[in-house]
Amino acid sequence: MTFQKVVHADYTSNVYVFFLFSALSFILMLRGDFGIGLDGKGIPVSEAEKEESTLSITVVGASGDLAKKKIFPALFALFYEDWLPENFTVFGYARTKMNDEELRNMISGTLTCRVNQRFSTLPDLSFPIPHDLNADTREHLQGKLPHTAKPSYLKNFELLIEAAGKVSNRLFYLSIPPNIFVDVVRSVGLRASSLNGWTRVIVEKPFGRDSESSGELTRCLKQYLTEDQIFRIDHYLGKELVENLSVLRFSNLVFEPLWSRDYIRSVQLIFSEDFGTEGRGGYFDNYGIIRDIMQNHLLQILALFAMETPVSLDAEDVRNEKSLRSMKPLKLGDVIVGQYKGHSKSGRSYPAYTDDPTVPKGSLTPTFAAAALFINNARWDGVPFLMKAGKALHTRRAEVRVQFRHVPGNLYKRNFGTDLDMATNELVLRVQPDEAIYLRINNKVPGLGMRLDRSNLNLLYSARYPREIPDAYERLLLDAMAGERRLFIRSDELDAAWALFTPMLKELEEKKIAPELYPHGSRGPVGAHYLAAKYNVRWGDLGGDDS
Amino acid sequence: MATHSYSLLPSSSSSSIHGQNHQRLNFSSYIAKGVLPAKVSFHSRRNYHLNVVLMQDGAVATPATPVENEAPFKKLRDGILSSVPSTQEFKEAASFDVSKDESTVSITVVGASGDLAKKKIFPALFALYYEGCLPKHFTIFGYARSKMTDAELRNMVSKTLACRIDKRENCGEKIDQFLKRCFYHSGQYDSQENFAELDKKLKEHEGGRVSNRLFYLSIPPNIFIDAVKCTSSSASSGIGWTRVIVEKPFGRDSDSSAALTKALKQYLEEDQIFRIDHYLGKELVENLSVLRFSNLIFEPLWSRQYIRNVQLIFSEDFGTEGRGGYFDNYGILRDIMQNHLLQILALFAMETPVSLDAEDIRNEKVKVLRSMRPLQLEDVVVGQYKSHTKGGVTYPAYIDDNTVPKGSLTPTFAAAALFIDNARWDGVPFLMKAGKALHKKRAEIRVQFRHVPGNLYNQNFETDLDQATNELIIRVQPDEAIDLKINNKVPGLGMRLDHSNLNLHYAARYSKEIPDAYERLLLDAIEGERRLFIRSDELDAAWALFTPVLKELEEKNIIPEYYPYGSRGPVGAHYLAARYNVRWGDLGI
Repeated sequence: MTFQKVVHADYTSNVYVFFLFSALSFILMLRGDFGIGLDGKGIPVSEAEKEESTLSITVVGASGDLAKKKIFPALFALFYEDWLPENFTVFGYARTKMNDEELRNMISGTLTCRVNQRFSTLPDLSFPIPHDLNADTREHLQGKLPHTAKPSYLKNFELLIEAAGKVSNRLFYLSIPPNIFVDVVRSVGLRASSLNGWTRVIVEKPFGRDSESSGELTRCLKQYLTEDQIFRIDHYLGKELVENLSVLRFSNLVFEPLWSRDYIRSVQLIFSEDFGTEGRGGYFDNYGIIRDIMQNHLLQILALFAMETPVSLDAEDVRNEKSLRSMKPLKLGDVIVGQYKGHSKSGRSYPAYTDDPTVPKGSLTPTFAAAALFINNARWDGVPFLMKAGKALHTRRAEVRVQFRHVPGNLYKRNFGTDLDMATNELVLRVQPDEAIYLRINNKVPGLGMRLDRSNLNLLYSARYPREIPDAYERLLLDAMAGERRLFIRSDELDAAWALFTPMLKELEEKKIAPELYPHGSRGPVGAHYLAAKYNVRWGDLGGDDS
Repeated sequence: MATHSYSLLPSSSSSSIHGQNHQRLNFSSYIAKGVLPAKVSFHSRRNYHLNVVLMQDGAVATPATPVENEAPFKKLRDGILSSVPSTQEFKEAASFDVSKDESTVSITVVGASGDLAKKKIFPALFALYYEGCLPKHFTIFGYARSKMTDAELRNMVSKTLACRIDKRENCGEKIDQFLKRCFYHSGQYDSQENFAELDKKLKEHEGGRVSNRLFYLSIPPNIFIDAVKCTSSSASSGIGWTRVIVEKPFGRDSDSSAALTKALKQYLEEDQIFRIDHYLGKELVENLSVLRFSNLIFEPLWSRQYIRNVQLIFSEDFGTEGRGGYFDNYGILRDIMQNHLLQILALFAMETPVSLDAEDIRNEKVKVLRSMRPLQLEDVVVGQYKSHTKGGVTYPAYIDDNTVPKGSLTPTFAAAALFIDNARWDGVPFLMKAGKALHKKRAEIRVQFRHVPGNLYNQNFETDLDQATNELIIRVQPDEAIDLKINNKVPGLGMRLDHSNLNLHYAARYSKEIPDAYERLLLDAIEGERRLFIRSDELDAAWALFTPVLKELEEKNIIPEYYPYGSRGPVGAHYLAARYNVRWGDLGI
């Protein structure tokens, strides 16, 4: 275990913040009271290393949307919560011409302190500021950002020189379109690797479009990087409740015995967004919801959910178990695809997917999909794992629902009427929004007589934990800095994931399967229900009494 | 859709599952709401497979039916639920239905001027009345030695009647209507003549209809038998049933309890005797079986394999307060443990009954009680509260109570460890704790689960793994709730685990006021549902567990450990728990 930092709810006292911007970089320094529950272990590098090493984080694609909305804010959050080592530098790198001020301006617009951590006083700027950034670096980089020329990537990366000969560790976050991935990786690998520290590269989805392209991408990455330098990020794995999934399962005696086909009837992984592509359909149209959400996010959650108990919580142990090779490749008959169409509601009209100007006319790309997957092992044989993902639906939600089997020989079955199906227990992990865990149980309705009803045993995070929950990117960035690979996807995992989806995706495209159209803002195509019915289960999220 | 497979089974003795209970539900909701025409109800019952039970007894409740396919389910919602009454029950039900208009129920509260009658019995009867749970023709008689007129009784009763918050409408009117059906008869508890007079009055009110009679004996134990004798010989119903509800104490030990039972049985059949233990009528005690038997997630956990210990905790935040006379003769072990807590334990630990029928459940409860080891002296800690001064207020010691003999050694607190020697529970300590004058009022069941074997997250707990086990808490009173303590990741970067609760607070989930235990039990007695009443053999088995230790305590004059009024009780309770390597859940943190 890498992180054992005890996070106390109040450690706002005695914190000073400084923003130090230098050439293409900003340095965020923090002086915190290390007596408040913060010990050396809390920092992702050892005490000794912290003293003598530097960490440079380079966000490649710094002017992009993700960088602005997620990466810089996450780095800042890590900084003010004192998770970053003492000597660190953050570099933005992009083709856009920008000077330091402009970068800082751009970034500062998205930085905020968490509600419970806002500083009550202004930073004390009289505090001595260590400033030892190489002036040359600043000079060289100013205004010399390359436009497109590939060789200049190399040149410019060379210029990222760390301060004063310390052990230099380098983390590159590639937040760039897939077509230039490999070039950038080559440049990083060849010309900007740290000589005396580690170099790690965080890569974003898409990891290819299918087995072949993904295999190709992996091969290219491996020409320049070793497996343990590659950090494929899937931000769903950094979500609080996804992390908690293993805790729930492995540290509670009441759940562990239930985790198998003996007790679980179906598992449902549900993702929905309440908006469409909104003018950003260009990228999406090339991938579709199955590649964009299912093959990565939902499948990763499934793997975490269903894996055998790992030998330990070490990254390799967990990733060995997560390997998806006992799953059956998805069949076309077990998939439903949909696409949203225009819809008018109370005077407002919502556009169809194909109304998006960035989407080709007549596109058949699915914006909704439901699928049934199966795991052929002793634990899960016959248990349907249902996935559902869609855009432009009625609600925004991501959740894992575990539906348990019926009580055999239920003494109380008369009290349920005929619909025994509705009376099974269900464990729901709501990943977003409003993180919660609840267990639906059958309970006697208070009163004379004997009537049963489902009630929830609830844990609503906002009620129990007043602290704001960190963004997934914070956790993942921190893990990457610490070299904790548990939540990143290993090459063989990725191969296995693509092997499950590729045949079906190919078939879907070759046969030009027309998606079932559903109105923008609706509950999605009814086909999803028929798919569930085929396996004699029912979507838990559309039960009506549980919204 | 209502005719699903099990309801098509031919009626036979083996399918009598749960019929009684159903009958009750059926009846009560039918009367209460009158939503379905009588014809439907009756007809369906005759057809066995389409037994209609109304579900809308007013709960807030999310519908247990899905929303898609609205139409068919709506229909179902209005009347599903089949039950297959046995032939016998069918007859009972049918005759009851047919003769409903002609039969009467007379409820006689013997000891009507007593505290329990005023505080619990009359208010419960009134609540049943306005909920529509009482039959059309009913009469309530108060019987006691005090001279009183009907008007005086009504006046006395009316002071304690209240409508539930959600039933305030026409409250005064309902009280008046109810009081008109209340009468009083003054007499001695051992006088055949006085009971014969009562019988005469009852007959007047019954007006020649089929007359069922329920007697609630709310009187001191020394006059029990006389009253039962008189009831049975002079005031039994000729053409309907006669049932007698008896209150604790049911003796002081095996011998006296057996003598009492023997005497009762001279005058009454077993099925006429309704020994009431009002804890069994509590909402969450009733729910215990529902939780266990209708949730797949709990059933597999219900054994020594997963449960490390079970704790049954009762505490009151006041002492005897001038009413120690009765208590001193019994003590907390007899007053709370041997009956209330042991009954809950039996319900908790019993094997799955064949059905929810009274006899099936009581059979299983007796089996558990008989598999238990009699309590050993070293597994008991006794305590007595002493006076304590806090914030200028002085709280008296138990022996400061005028009604308590000086130097009394009667325990006002006890903790005990019991064991069930069967395959399911071997080695699992069942800890009980009951006390008066403690720091809070509470009754709860705590189920502590074992450790996670080979816990991957061990290192996150540091050394205190003991604190990190799951726990299911059923809070019986006050503020009814169910809590499941789980280990959860504390949100945030890093990995720290912590206990959190999955909880269900009744007040938040159910807006209806929870009926008092006496309402349920009275209704059950009227309807002949014996599930929540204690059978003679159960009582014998319960006494057999406690009698030896009680005798030893008294013979050896064991001095109770003194604890201050308003404290958490004697520390001896912790040492008892420690002996079995467990920890009281209620005083943990």
